[in-house]
Amino acid sequence: MKPVDTPTLQPRLKVLSREQALAIHFAALEILEKTGFKMEHPGALEMLAGAGARVSNGDWVRLPADTVEGALKSAPRQITLYDQRGNEAMPLTDGNYFYGTGSDATFTLDLETGQRRRAVLKDAANFTRLVDALENMSFAMSMANPEDVPIEDIYVHVFAEMVKNTGKPIVFIADSGKDIARIYEIACLVTGGAESLRQKPFILNYSEAISPLLFPENVMEKLIFCAEKGIPICLPSGSNAGGGAPVTLAGAMALGIAENLVGLVVHQLVNRGAPFLFGPNVSILDMKSAVVSYGCPEWSLSQAALADMRDEIYGLPVWAFAGASDAKVMDAQAGAEAMFSIISAMLSRANLIHDVGFLEYGSTSSLEMVTMANELVAMSRYFTEGIPVNKETLALEAIERVASGGPGAIFLSDDHTFDHFMEAQFLPKILDRSRYDSWKEAGELNLYQRCNIETKRLLAEHQVAPKTDEVLRGIEQILKTG
Amino acid sequence: MSDLKALSEAVVNGDTKTAVTETQRALDAGGSAQDILNEGLIATMNEVGERYSKGLIFVPQMLRSGKAMQECTNLLKPFFQEGEVTSKGKVLIGTVRGDLHDIGKNLVSMMLEGAGFAITDLGVNVSPEKFVEKTREVEPDIVGMSALLSTTMPAMPQTIEALEKAGLRNRVKVMIGGAPVTERYAQKIMADSYASDAGSAVSKAKELLGIS
Repeated sequence: MKPVDTPTLQPRLKVLSREQALAIHFAALEILEKTGFKMEHPGALEMLAGAGARVSNGDWVRLPADTVEGALKSAPRQITLYDQRGNEAMPLTDGNYFYGTGSDATFTLDLETGQRRRAVLKDAANFTRLVDALENMSFAMSMANPEDVPIEDIYVHVFAEMVKNTGKPIVFIADSGKDIARIYEIACLVTGGAESLRQKPFILNYSEAISPLLFPENVMEKLIFCAEKGIPICLPSGSNAGGGAPVTLAGAMALGIAENLVGLVVHQLVNRGAPFLFGPNVSILDMKSAVVSYGCPEWSLSQAALADMRDEIYGLPVWAFAGASDAKVMDAQAGAEAMFSIISAMLSRANLIHDVGFLEYGSTSSLEMVTMANELVAMSRYFTEGIPVNKETLALEAIERVASGGPGAIFLSDDHTFDHFMEAQFLPKILDRSRYDSWKEAGELNLYQRCNIETKRLLAEHQVAPKTDEVLRGIEQILKTG
Repeated sequence: MSDLKALSEAVVNGDTKTAVTETQRALDAGGSAQDILNEGLIATMNEVGERYSKGLIFVPQMLRSGKAMQECTNLLKPFFQEGEVTSKGKVLIGTVRGDLHDIGKNLVSMMLEGAGFAITDLGVNVSPEKFVEKTREVEPDIVGMSALLSTTMPAMPQTIEALEKAGLRNRVKVMIGGAPVTERYAQKIMADSYASDAGSAVSKAKELLGIS
């Protein structure tokens, strides 16, 4: 009889007790029921009123807890994003994690000069191509708020550029109900129609309400559009501790979750069962510089807590960040902060993890950071997969062979090593373990320089599966109609 | 001049109650409102601002000091003639049309106020017409505009144009800021100044008006 395998414990981080999770959840419900929120979209206001919300002063809404619970029940527990050929790519469900880039940086570190400069459309193309090339980057966001396209069409141009440069899923930004409809048209071209896009979505919209408790009309237009079309969406609101929200993490989370729940309720009222990614984005406002930090431990902690709340209460897949930094250049701070958030997001099993590659609290993007993070994700994954313990890995036979093999017998030359070293060890590609002399001979390159070289190589060599002429012509047409 | 050390200390500590008591005590002791304002309050806030710039104190501490100063200034106001200058200058401020974000703008307002400017805050989603109307009414030295979204930035040059058409552009300095705004953008739309954060908004405002 075959012996039963010993299951491998895969380390998982818990930061909240069930009591803490419930207390934050109840606080969120209390905010909605007692404090209320400002809903500036007339249609959404009407729907909320029809669902039992109390409306006062025109657009101030108080929402009973049972309406919220209803929405939590009808939203799907699993969202799957597909690649642009319709293959399953990102099953977002409780144990799965996927990393990708971030949205909308004003500046970028130029790959050639290393200087910080205003982002252009070509940067969105390069970041997307890099994501396409990197095995641990699962989805693309634009990373650029380009200055060389008309500002009123900015997100349509950026989306078109991304579609041309990757076959992976895309998380996109839009301004309102107008441009999101054109972005949707492009996405339909790629999948060959609205129905196939609904069945196998490769896009997810990222929109933001405004903390505290303000829901602007243009933002709700996007939410309603996505609900109607079955396009997955997430709707955090900038409930950063000390900025849009109280300075203490528990209060900031309660507020952020309350705001997310408003989005969820409206979304489910529009279309029960439409996919909604949960996640309030709780970072901090730095008390010296007043920037929203992208390297702080608080954000990692709050999203680990959110993952716990998912496990205890919500069951919905969650949105998260990692691989970013407040450093201005890709230095030791950038590496430390990137790794801190990457491994903690993974250990807490956050599902869709964006913002990889941001420097300067999200204002500057860096291609080299993305290339570095790709390796840090691999390193973290190795750790998170744990230690398989079985006959093969205990390797008692190999031990006996080497121990009794006489002079010259070493593990390095044993068959067991040859058979297993590839998966038994983490084999770094960019992190340097070479001996001093070889490192010196190779030009004494630091991590930033090595990432720069690797990024240039990838951008030069990587081939993106091209879109058909028909799709490309369709995109040009949509861009022209402005 | 009576001893303003206790007042100064209370403002530094953000202790409004003591600061107000000390202001009253200084007045009762026959101190001039002008001296109390200049030497007790404005000088202290300059020091607080400096401590902040050096990273010795945090934003909430500075805002608390600013609030203490504000309360004390209110106490002094009756001692000044109408039209007498009690502020460093008047600033009209708002988040531009289409944009509803106000945390950054509010922080700038509070910092400017703490530094001794008189603020008229128009709130969010302020149309060019509203900026023009209020500029006429308030006659500010500086018009400040904020935008968080790149898609609402075009409202900045539109507002400047509206000020021009109304013949008001030459009477005010225009200062802009917000996450997507850059120095180069400020130059492009012919704003007079760009501030990258609330702290530098204060020094830029002083620079614009040629004061320290």
